[in-house]
Amino acid sequence: MAITQTTTRAGISRDTLVKWAPLLVLLVLCAFFAVMEPRFLSTRNFARILIAATPTLMVAIGVTFIIIMGSIDLSMEGAVSVCAVAFAYCFLWLGGTLASWAWLAIPFAMLVGAVLGFVNGLIHVKLKIPSFMASLAMGFVGTGLAMVMTGGDRIRIEDELFRALLTERIFGFPLMVYVAGLFLLIAWFIQTRTTLGRNFYAVGGGEDLAVASGLNVARVRIMGFTLAGVFFAVGALLAVGRIGIAETATGNNFMFLSITAVVVGGTALWGGIGGVWNTLVGVLIVFVIGNGMVVIGLPGYVQDAVLGLLVILAVILSTDRKSISFVK
Amino acid sequence: MSLEKLKPWFPWLTLAVLVLLVGAVNPAFFNPSGMVALVADIVPLFIMALGMTFAIYIGGIDLSMQQVANLVTVVATVYLAQFGIFVAVLCIAAGFGIGALSGWITTRQFVPSFVATLAMGFIALSGARFLSGERALSMDAEARDASFGWMFGNTAGVPHELVIAGVLLAIAWFLQTRTTFGRALKAVGAGELAAVASGLKVDKIKIMAFALSGTFAAIAGLMFSVKLSGGDANLANGFLILAIVAVLVGGTPLTGGVGGVINTLVGTLIVVVIRSAMVYLEVDATMQQMIFGIILIVAIAMTIDRSKMRIVK
Repeated sequence: MAITQTTTRAGISRDTLVKWAPLLVLLVLCAFFAVMEPRFLSTRNFARILIAATPTLMVAIGVTFIIIMGSIDLSMEGAVSVCAVAFAYCFLWLGGTLASWAWLAIPFAMLVGAVLGFVNGLIHVKLKIPSFMASLAMGFVGTGLAMVMTGGDRIRIEDELFRALLTERIFGFPLMVYVAGLFLLIAWFIQTRTTLGRNFYAVGGGEDLAVASGLNVARVRIMGFTLAGVFFAVGALLAVGRIGIAETATGNNFMFLSITAVVVGGTALWGGIGGVWNTLVGVLIVFVIGNGMVVIGLPGYVQDAVLGLLVILAVILSTDRKSISFVK
Repeated sequence: MSLEKLKPWFPWLTLAVLVLLVGAVNPAFFNPSGMVALVADIVPLFIMALGMTFAIYIGGIDLSMQQVANLVTVVATVYLAQFGIFVAVLCIAAGFGIGALSGWITTRQFVPSFVATLAMGFIALSGARFLSGERALSMDAEARDASFGWMFGNTAGVPHELVIAGVLLAIAWFLQTRTTFGRALKAVGAGELAAVASGLKVDKIKIMAFALSGTFAAIAGLMFSVKLSGGDANLANGFLILAIVAVLVGGTPLTGGVGGVINTLVGTLIVVVIRSAMVYLEVDATMQQMIFGIILIVAIAMTIDRSKMRIVK
């Protein structure tokens, strides 16, 4: 990354601006929607935003690690579908309620996610295929696999204990929000307090340097994809908890929403900067926009266009144009 | 003969072997009228793959093609009554514009093409949902036949769809091999920095390549909507993976620079043969996407030029 800091007239460096811009955008958005429609600020509405956002938050945190490394993972739609369906079948097979051995379906789903991520990483690293294409293809395979597993059916999870994720509320917010918060802290711990977390930044900051200083980059990459797979699985579990159904379509829309969230949150596609808190802000921006538009009465399709523009704008703003010559 | 020299012939070989295999298991496959119908059926996909070839040939990718085609099916359906056959101009202009904009965003604003086109795809989808009012629309049969009936006629046993595909292939082939623009595309795909150093207007060439892929996506969408006599924001879903597979299986690597539109013809035919084999072998429809995903990975791994990528991100 460029070391030179270009200072604007107000005396704020470009880096500081890039760092705090996402949070600023989030606050401005909230203020805007609150002025347009005061009901936006109610606890009920915030709970609604968070319920919608938690599965995406988990998926986006997973892909954050990958983007910090300068790669990308586009396999989330397939991975989430497969994890959701695998969880549902395992859960029903083992008894269908969390009070029995069926709780094992939760670690099982995370294992499935890890395996998918591991395979994804292997294909990317060992076959030397750019990650966006390797993971896109894996995503297609995943969606196909979920379709084969379900035969197009929807699997209902009606266990009250599992659905407590949505129905049980503490201080007005359902349990799934707290679960997501817990995993956010775990991700933050991995990012800041573990060797693996620091290695992600090392790979993203400059792969040549990382190799030269003796880092096994291939291993870090594969572990990154595996870790992302686990978070995709957590996202899948929360998505199933939210609607009580696992199907091939469970994974729909996760790709664009999560990538948008990560990029808008300020984690640069080039790698090396950003992190899980950026992703939290990014996810909130995406879902505040989605919710706010509905609250002030705009049709749903406007959101797609706004997010499309936002992601392009975010990449443009986070790019230091002097440090690159061309992109593919 | 070394393996490297054989490499360009792999797609042809694959196609020949596949055709013989499928023909051996199912002799009815060689029935000419069945074959023609099979190929005619795939024309919209082929056109989309032709456009994708330009994006991949310069080392980029266009993930917005499916959504551009979706948008065009809606545009064509909504404005057919008003403009008649001239709705085609509107559709092609839309595709060209969206593609050019994607190209401008990647080249001038340094947004990697897969993100830029993904985002542009969602903007196109938004437009499609807006125009269609989130409903599946159908064309007025009379207006459709009057303006576009010729697309699906038959002359001496040759479906007009095939003629259209042939003409488009000829145009694309001419552009690629017989014009300075085509040579410039190859230069950009083979080594962008070298192309810049030798004085080519690389930005313009890349923007044009994306504009072409958008244009072809629009033509594919138009044919698709006339064929199904309607428009819908999800009509062309499922085409993207097949178009990418067709280009890569044909031997145009993700790294660009080699291959081209004739390769895409071979690649599309390979996809057709695999598809019909799966139907004949009663492979469940749900399995097909998985299989094409795996084929995609294998095709990329086999064709990609690793000497061009010092670091694989």
